[in-house]
Amino acid sequence: MTCLRTFYFIPFILLSLSVLSASVFARSFDDIIESKKINIAVYIDYPPYSYMEAGSAKGIDVDIAKEIAAKFNVELVLTWMTPGETTEDDFRNFLWKGHIIHKVKADLMMRAPYDRSFSQKRDDIGLLANELVHMFAPYQQESWQIIHNTEQLPEVETMAVFQYHKIGAEIDSIPHFYLTSAFGGRLRDNTTQYVSNELAIDAMKKGDVDAVMGLRTQISYLSQFVDNAKFKLASNAFPLIGKQKWDLGIAVHNDYRTLAYEVGDVITEMVQTEKMAQIFSQYHATYEMPAYYAIEL
Amino acid sequence: MNKPLPLKRIALALLVCAGAISPVQANVTDKDIQNDQATTDDIVSYGMGLRAQRYSPLSAINKDTIEEIRPVWAFSLGGEKQRGQESQPMVKDGVMYVTGSYSRVWAINAMTGEELWQYEARLPDGIMPCCDVINRGVALYDNLVIFGTLDAKLVALDKDTGKTVWKKKVEDYKAGYSITAAPIIIDGMVITGNSGGEFGVVGKVYAFDAKTGKQVWVRPTVEGHMGYMWKDGKKTENGISGGEAGKTWPADLWKTGGAATWLGGTYDADTGLLFFGTGNPSPWNSHLRPGDNYFSSSRLAIDPKTGKIVWHFQTTPHDGWDFDGVNELISFDYEESGKTVKAAATADRNGFFYVLNREDGDFIRGFPFVDKLTWANGLDENGRPLYIEDVRPGNPSLSDDGKKGAQVVARPAFLGGKNWMPMAYSPDTGLFYVPSNEWEMDIWNETTSYKKGAAYLGAGFTIKSVNEDYIGVLRAIDPKTGEEVWRYNNFAPLWGGVMTTGGGLVWTGNPEGYLMAFDDKTGEMVYKFQTGSGIVGSPVTWEMEGEQYVSVLSGWGGAVPLWGGEVAKRVKHLNQGGTVWTFKLPKRYEQVAKN
Repeated sequence: MTCLRTFYFIPFILLSLSVLSASVFARSFDDIIESKKINIAVYIDYPPYSYMEAGSAKGIDVDIAKEIAAKFNVELVLTWMTPGETTEDDFRNFLWKGHIIHKVKADLMMRAPYDRSFSQKRDDIGLLANELVHMFAPYQQESWQIIHNTEQLPEVETMAVFQYHKIGAEIDSIPHFYLTSAFGGRLRDNTTQYVSNELAIDAMKKGDVDAVMGLRTQISYLSQFVDNAKFKLASNAFPLIGKQKWDLGIAVHNDYRTLAYEVGDVITEMVQTEKMAQIFSQYHATYEMPAYYAIEL
Repeated sequence: MNKPLPLKRIALALLVCAGAISPVQANVTDKDIQNDQATTDDIVSYGMGLRAQRYSPLSAINKDTIEEIRPVWAFSLGGEKQRGQESQPMVKDGVMYVTGSYSRVWAINAMTGEELWQYEARLPDGIMPCCDVINRGVALYDNLVIFGTLDAKLVALDKDTGKTVWKKKVEDYKAGYSITAAPIIIDGMVITGNSGGEFGVVGKVYAFDAKTGKQVWVRPTVEGHMGYMWKDGKKTENGISGGEAGKTWPADLWKTGGAATWLGGTYDADTGLLFFGTGNPSPWNSHLRPGDNYFSSSRLAIDPKTGKIVWHFQTTPHDGWDFDGVNELISFDYEESGKTVKAAATADRNGFFYVLNREDGDFIRGFPFVDKLTWANGLDENGRPLYIEDVRPGNPSLSDDGKKGAQVVARPAFLGGKNWMPMAYSPDTGLFYVPSNEWEMDIWNETTSYKKGAAYLGAGFTIKSVNEDYIGVLRAIDPKTGEEVWRYNNFAPLWGGVMTTGGGLVWTGNPEGYLMAFDDKTGEMVYKFQTGSGIVGSPVTWEMEGEQYVSVLSGWGGAVPLWGGEVAKRVKHLNQGGTVWTFKLPKRYEQVAKN
């Protein structure tokens, strides 16, 4: 009697576990291959990295995620991340602890920093702050970019011009901090903040500001929608900005290193065959290869 | 187990059933709400009276009888959603209305603890509430139970069925807004504030018609924003808060100035004024926004008839420490030189206790209510802090080498000398009972920060305890002298509300799980009961069929467990939960036993 009962129970438990693990837990490479699904987290409404257009998912990070799923021959399931205040919040919500309400977790998270000082960061009591996640496979080097109205402001030789010209930036971004605080606050009164880079560009088109500063990928992507004779990408430097350039890669729960190695191989191949650069160019976005691959090539 | 029930028990059961059915089911009126503090048979306002003194004249449970009280029922908020129960129960006609974490509401038979209905708000997929998933309670009006949701809606439910009568989007949750406070009702209007941790939100106070959910007015709490009024469905301009933009803010930073009204408000019928506290200004780096940054970290008096600001008092001008000064302003009268002073008091996150003239907002006096303050050398004659600029967190633009910026130590920590948890005022003793915490923080600039794949300038911080044996301190404070009459030290930080009663008792709970009662004059602990999880809710008391009841929610959570560091060590072993506990004296049990 007891034997029979156990016999019936085991398959039931296994079945329910596998159903659960396919949907809510970060999982190992073997689990992913077996379930024929991979769950990859991308930021919501974040063009050109990840966004919805006419009912389908688009963007650089989405295309990279599709490539990973295709290489593993599994179905891609996207988890759309509403960002927290910092990337650490996103790690917690989407990789190791799960969303505060829906408890959902993903296998991989795109757009994680690839920065030794960040991955080795210590928390307030001296422990590794991000020990539960592994950050790997840098796929892009990001930087800052100014776009300007050449009729109002023919050249941006140095940041000093913004003592005399109005400039827009996305709220709460480094450009916003930079423009309102660097050079003793001398650019502060000419700085206007917008909820998004898109709105800042719209304001530039209307003539409210003469330039916009933002992430290079986003500004170069948005530059395709404006008259390129009138609005140009500047090539000025950004003194005192702290981080001039940084690399972005992928994050995984620290327990799943095998998955990281497999994904790392896919990304390396994409970078080396220039598949990565092609994806960026499809979105009219400037691509810069992370220094990590320069040695190997 | 099929033993026949003893006759006595059947008799008791019948009595209880009869009691539960008999009260007249009346709708809640403005008069009920205005008189809430004086009437002991119901609790129909957040704060047990619109002034939020959290005082009940009930005295059956007192210093002599309290050791006899016992739980009569406990109600589980169930499911996996056991987290941060910061609600205050409401009671009307033998029914208790209580909210739980994750935007849930229950109606419970207050005699038996049986569930009458449950409502669970459907929260959107992309929601990312800033400040834990808590809720602080409902408002009752007419036949409606009204509460705010994590996705920034007001929902009005039928009190008998729990079915939705109206639902109103107050703000867009996608823009970072949320509601966690309990709304209040003034003259048929439901009045609420907003919450939002993300940069870019603007604090506002909103009034809606309580019966229909139609908007009446909105008052932004940041200088430069236009207020609006609705007449016959038409939206009309109602004056810019503070007159015009840019007086106390540089550039256009006022557009996104913060100052969220996340704790809701109080009301004083004498002056006819609403009092709302406002949160910290944005962005966090104070060096970007030279100026006082009106009306962040302030108390605002708003006329509910006009939706206009009558006076303001700013506790932390140009806040650089996240002293998010939303704390409740409690109206009270006191005698001085033969005259009645119409005062109001608030214990701020920044560690100062303020007594204001509630008619005009004039500063009467202020003093630290915490053991030590390191960021100011006291207050000037207008109540403005005398800052010690060395303790202001540094400007991140000055640390451009990608390294940790200069570190400052500030006390109290940003979680405050007193956080959200409401204090109580006893007209019997003339004392305020203030749940407070003793902790400090290190703050530094963090240049290895990222947000959505973009490099970001963050602030690193850690909260540290300053005493080995306690963080929490329940204090009895004399608002006339600033004297601390008594104190009770608690190992973990205090995070629950306080209540005081005509029985000479002060009630509160602690994260360790105890509901505690103290002698209001001496601070001697006269009762404690282990509820099984930490208490971060506010206790209430009321009378039903001649007996005094006390209820409190138990369920650890809120902001404290969200922060790491040294303080986390004191609380990380605490279990989450979700239970309403209800107590009374065993009067009927004794009577039945005698028969």
